[in-house]
Amino acid sequence: MVYINAIRQISAQKPLTDEWFDSPIYYNEPYIRAIDPDFKQYLAPNESRRTGKILKRALITSREACKDTVPEAIITGTGLGCIENTEIFLDSMSRYGEELLPPTQFMQSTHNTVSSLVAIDIKCNSYNITFAHKGISFECALQNAFIISNKKHNVTVLVGAHDEMTPVYFNLLKRTGYLGNTNQVFAGEAAVSMLLSTKKENSSMCRIDNIEKYYSTGRNFHLDSSDYKIDAVMTGINGTEDNDRVYYENCNRWFPGVPMLRYKHLFGESYTAPAFGVYTSAICLAKQLIPEFIKLHSKVNNTKPINSILCYNHFENKNHTFILLSTCYE
Amino acid sequence: MDKIVISGMGIISAIGNNCMETLDALKASKSGIDTIHYLNTSHTEFPVGEVKLTNEEMISMLGLTASSVSTRTSLMGMIAVREAIETAGIYNINQRCSIISGTTVGGMDKSEQYYLEFLENDLHKEYIKTHDCGACTEMIADYFGFFSQVDTISTACSSAANAILLGAKFLQSGKTDVAVAGGAECITRFHLNGFNTLRILDCQHCRPFDNTRAGLNLGEGAAYIVMETEKHFLERTALTPPESQRKIYAYLSGAANTCDAFHQTASSPDGKGAYMAMKNALHNAGLHPSNVDYINAHGTGTANNDLSEGYAIEKLFGNNIPPVSSTKAFTGHTTSAAGGIEAVISILSMNNSLIPVNLNFKEKMPELSFKPVTEYSSNDIHLEHVLSNSFGFGGNDTTLIFSHHKRS
Repeated sequence: MVYINAIRQISAQKPLTDEWFDSPIYYNEPYIRAIDPDFKQYLAPNESRRTGKILKRALITSREACKDTVPEAIITGTGLGCIENTEIFLDSMSRYGEELLPPTQFMQSTHNTVSSLVAIDIKCNSYNITFAHKGISFECALQNAFIISNKKHNVTVLVGAHDEMTPVYFNLLKRTGYLGNTNQVFAGEAAVSMLLSTKKENSSMCRIDNIEKYYSTGRNFHLDSSDYKIDAVMTGINGTEDNDRVYYENCNRWFPGVPMLRYKHLFGESYTAPAFGVYTSAICLAKQLIPEFIKLHSKVNNTKPINSILCYNHFENKNHTFILLSTCYE
Repeated sequence: MDKIVISGMGIISAIGNNCMETLDALKASKSGIDTIHYLNTSHTEFPVGEVKLTNEEMISMLGLTASSVSTRTSLMGMIAVREAIETAGIYNINQRCSIISGTTVGGMDKSEQYYLEFLENDLHKEYIKTHDCGACTEMIADYFGFFSQVDTISTACSSAANAILLGAKFLQSGKTDVAVAGGAECITRFHLNGFNTLRILDCQHCRPFDNTRAGLNLGEGAAYIVMETEKHFLERTALTPPESQRKIYAYLSGAANTCDAFHQTASSPDGKGAYMAMKNALHNAGLHPSNVDYINAHGTGTANNDLSEGYAIEKLFGNNIPPVSSTKAFTGHTTSAAGGIEAVISILSMNNSLIPVNLNFKEKMPELSFKPVTEYSSNDIHLEHVLSNSFGFGGNDTTLIFSHHKRS
């Protein structure tokens, strides 16, 4: 059994707290950067200056999720990695040529800079892997964590989902049609750290029962939905027609009558946004409450116990992922 | 637990566009490192190990249309995956088949070519979408059309080795029936300049484990192996005609990843992460250091890596250090692809009873007790177990162990 024992986030909602669950912030702008905590409380000024935003957020959410635990593995998902530093280096090279380029930006430009900096910070010498696969980067990381801990004893894994979004890159991705469309939720940033453990504790939020990924241009994409006895589906509905239609069609086909939920209107769209779907579901299961503002249809009743929520994410209707979460109250 | 077999492999690098050409270069001790021909850069002072093909030539080899959207990394990946699945005979497989690919620069070759235009106009906007690492894996997967699961690992220079490690975990946990794992990476101006800012590129041919070593030469390429459980392989091939000659190239008997957790780009002086990766991989394989017949070292030729890796080897193997060589002086440092390229080189060495020479070595490092292999020999060599190291930025250390025969 694998449990989620802690989740800490930095996003467009108030950082490092679950307060948004009672009083969420709504946005109308197309692009919102995360609300950062006071970095001074966590990092020395010179350290803070040298360290990119994505890295600072990863350090802080990881420390807060781990507390005194040194996990057996650190597994990170990131769609674009340290895109801010990459952009600085690339911009400088494109405009001014191949001389006098900044080493620090290069050193902090690789995707696994995030995971390795966290490892240095919490002194973890074990398994350290980074996945960078578009809109399923987080699920790749979570699946790896699930595989290495399921059916084992005393394994703790830190799973991270980290993406920053710069103004320049937002504009580029807007032109590809991924972000900034009419009626689409805002483009956001993600910093989510989760502590998974095979040991159930008082703090455990929920249990992870399974995680499956399918690439649908390949053969054999067949979901046996009878395997899933669920009370709700957490979807990546984001306000764009092409994206949302896939959720409506597939949920109606596989899970007719099961209430659909959403989270991207609160946390925005990003490659690792699905981590907020798991986060939101975990709180619902822990509190045994599904708030009105995440329901797609208001007539969902709240009376029965919430035993399980399926987080269903698709990316461009090519990648489909399913994470089954259950209550850990017996 | 079921044994993991390697039932197919494909490779493209500076020393050849397939396994056969690679083997010939290894036997002839012929390096593929040369002056820069294909990359558009002002830093022509650095020798590199380029794949000796233009993008257009690769597009033609693959039968793609000239207008198709591709990156150099994805093209090399397609060529290597094609050889891997053809040798394994899984082209028409009707089961779950996963591709796990390692890359870090992804589509950076196009991004650096068009970056200023990206900012100004939509002329090349299709290449905005090919920038990220996952795009590269999906372009490869879509060329073949039958992959049912895709994963992209980005841990810098250990990426492909970690993809192979993950492939084993997928197979052992029943998440897939067949895994095609490895990595692809082209040389870009971005990381050539990045490595240059770190002052770790040598203007001469690289000299791994040599006392006069002064840095690495960048390389490029792609390599993938086809992995499945032995049970699956035997059941699958029992149904194929005998003339198809499917075979087990090697067993993946052990793998481990650790984190040095010392510095963003440098290895710890005592090679703690490297030592633990090798030790854990041997433990994972149920082997002792004395069982290892050859170490294909990471051996980049930088002052820092070779000393750190050398110390780690000494600590683990003591007075019984097996033959060690780095093949980076053949291929250049192929960064994210290195773990795949060196996996294929290790298996080719094992299957052809040879130990690749550590080219360009002259002067022993005074800090180390051992010298790498300098004389080519294929007499009386039997490699039962080969250990291959791949280390990346962020102290990401991975060791893979390949074995000739099944271990009970």
